[in-house]
Amino acid sequence: MKDKIFGVLQRVGRSFMLPIALLPVAGLLLGIGGSFTNPTTLETYRLTNIIQEGGFLYTILDIMSKTGSVVFDNLALLFAMGVAIGMAKKEKEVAALSGAIAFLIMNTAISALITAKGGIEAMPANSTASVLGIPTLQMGVFGGIIVGLGVAALHNRFYKIQLPQILSFFGGTRFVPIVCSLVYLLVGIAMFYVWPIIQIGIASLGQLVLSSGYIGTWIYGIIERALIPFGLHHVFYMPFWQTELGGSMIIDGVTVTGAQNIFFAELASKSTEVFSVSATRFMSGKFPFMIFGLPAAAYALYRAARPEKRKVVGGLLLSAALTSMLTGITEPLEFTFLFVAPFVYVVHCILAGLSYMLMHILNVGVGMTFSGGLIDLTLFGILQGNAKTHWIWIVVVGLIYAVVYYFVFYFLITRFNLKTPGREADDEETKLYTRKDMENRKNASNVDMTSALILKGLGGKSNISDLDCCATRLRVTVRDSSKVADSLLKKSGASGVIHKGNGLQVIYGPQVSVIKSHLDDFLETPQSDDLSSIFADDTSVDTDKNIAVDKKHKKALSLYAHLNGTIIPLKNVDDEAFSTGILGDGAAIEPSDGNLYAPCDGKIESIFDTKHAVNIISDDGAEILLHIGVNTVRLGGKFFKSYVSDGQTVKQGDLLISFDIEKIKDAGYDTTTPIIVCNSDDYSAINVVAQNKVKVGDKIIDIS
Amino acid sequence: MKKFVYTIKDEVGIHARPAGMLAKTAKEFECTITIEKGDKSAVATKLMAVMGLGIKCGDEVTVICEGVDEEAAAAKIEEFFTANL
Repeated sequence: MKDKIFGVLQRVGRSFMLPIALLPVAGLLLGIGGSFTNPTTLETYRLTNIIQEGGFLYTILDIMSKTGSVVFDNLALLFAMGVAIGMAKKEKEVAALSGAIAFLIMNTAISALITAKGGIEAMPANSTASVLGIPTLQMGVFGGIIVGLGVAALHNRFYKIQLPQILSFFGGTRFVPIVCSLVYLLVGIAMFYVWPIIQIGIASLGQLVLSSGYIGTWIYGIIERALIPFGLHHVFYMPFWQTELGGSMIIDGVTVTGAQNIFFAELASKSTEVFSVSATRFMSGKFPFMIFGLPAAAYALYRAARPEKRKVVGGLLLSAALTSMLTGITEPLEFTFLFVAPFVYVVHCILAGLSYMLMHILNVGVGMTFSGGLIDLTLFGILQGNAKTHWIWIVVVGLIYAVVYYFVFYFLITRFNLKTPGREADDEETKLYTRKDMENRKNASNVDMTSALILKGLGGKSNISDLDCCATRLRVTVRDSSKVADSLLKKSGASGVIHKGNGLQVIYGPQVSVIKSHLDDFLETPQSDDLSSIFADDTSVDTDKNIAVDKKHKKALSLYAHLNGTIIPLKNVDDEAFSTGILGDGAAIEPSDGNLYAPCDGKIESIFDTKHAVNIISDDGAEILLHIGVNTVRLGGKFFKSYVSDGQTVKQGDLLISFDIEKIKDAGYDTTTPIIVCNSDDYSAINVVAQNKVKVGDKIIDIS
Repeated sequence: MKKFVYTIKDEVGIHARPAGMLAKTAKEFECTITIEKGDKSAVATKLMAVMGLGIKCGDEVTVICEGVDEEAAAAKIEEFFTANL
């Protein structure tokens, strides 16, 4: 059980890597762009001449800021899709689509309920957000994660579902977005009632912080960090930064409320001698752990990774560390260990809280625009002078923090063998696979025989270059189309196979998406590499062996021309039922006169009432269909005369039917007369041995 | 066992082409599919036998599916009849 939870957490953590990989870039764009478009920053450093609103440089910076920001604004959506992809076992693209849809549906459901209850104005301040233009509850990344996890669970449960035949179009992967939509409609409704309770709890924590001094600052720091994964930190710190909760002060005769507002008012005021630590205590604490602590932790993660994985992990960690250091955007780094090692994150929260408290005690007065990176430290600490800000303590505490973070992280990860990036147990997974494989081999019924048959029909795994499906058919690109065995594909349930060069369409009908899912699964098992062992061991399967046995039952024979005329290949007959071989293999004769003769010795199995076609079973068991003309069933027997009746024995060359070839042609019908071996499957070869002109009695087909 | 009764609406009945298509469809399933007309019957995969029934427009046929996938087969065959015959 513990292992199972751990395994799931590990997958969750890994599934976060996709969206996280984007964050460092977005963070840099936002950090640099945001800082240098901030009017206060620009005025303070008298950059307004160089960077003017509407000017070239400003616009570039603004674009950077906004494009970076859009990633963070839509982080929840990225997580909804990213986690769904990471956690889905197969058909991940469907999970991604479903994640996006479920996320939209959930937020829209919440939004509709908000409207019903009186709109955004009726909700508590800071409790709502606009997500993709939908006014909804502020749930942060957490909102995306619950969607991602739920959708993946639904996906893994339902992506192979088989629905009743009438609904089969909606089966398989197509069912996933449908069920996800419905479920998240309900989740949205539930969240509307549950989430505000959580938000109220957080707001009341704020009161506690205010009433407890240094310890209060520590608690503030811990809570602020702890809320990051839930996206709730904004709900928590914004009131401190922007409202009376963070204090109020009269600066240059104006009352200013909120910690951040106080700092920037002091920054703008020429009379400020020392920045008020009562305000900056809600901000300065970020610098030591963001610039020094977390990058050191990243180095610990790097060192703890297995040597062969370090190169891969190093890139991610380095960019995440730089982002934290420069811009104070820490999520890229924090999310790499948060979910695989929640305990380490707890330690991180405590240390971060301590950093806030130390800055408070050491009277450090450095503010920030939005986070605690080097950019903000330079602008609002170093450039303001140590006398005003005591920024030097940030470096002192920071260096200690770097050492502490490195050793704490390295110790915890190695001591408890935490699966941080680069430490995942690849080999364990491989081992599991082999064991399963062994079981499968012991128990042949576990092998998905249909998929095995399809794969064999397609010429084996190595012959498949691309596999996809549409509404009714499997679309396959093969490397060598000559390795494809249509007969095996048909045995697997295909109703037809269409070849176009190396492109192959195997027609199964609407259940094809399920067939494809099974085939995909099968392709990932080791058995798919060794088809011969499956087919050799398992005698219950209809394989070539059985076909060979069947073939022995039917004796070889020859068919003789049933008409005077010209041989035409079956595929040139202007009727799909014949040309595609649905009815069986054979040939056709374009007759020069209107007399149809028996092609072999046998018995008249049936003669159509319309006398345009006759079925003969040869003495050797071949089922032969002679069919005069194309669509001539519509003539209703006109122009045809039969000389035999059902059950009658005939000899090769006996006259069966005569027909008025000219009148049939005048009536607008093609008189091409196919001769078909209806039980072609019982033979291994049906060869047309004549061409051009033939006379009745000439040998035209060899069957063996 | 699943069965259904169908009255042929196609004016020329079950001639070579529909018989071929029916046999094709029937081959997709493992179960035995039998077509009955009056006192005659034929296994649907046996092209010749089906043609031998001489089913014409207005004839009432009974289709019987028997085997593991009989549900699916009956549904599919009925769909086939409705669409083509």
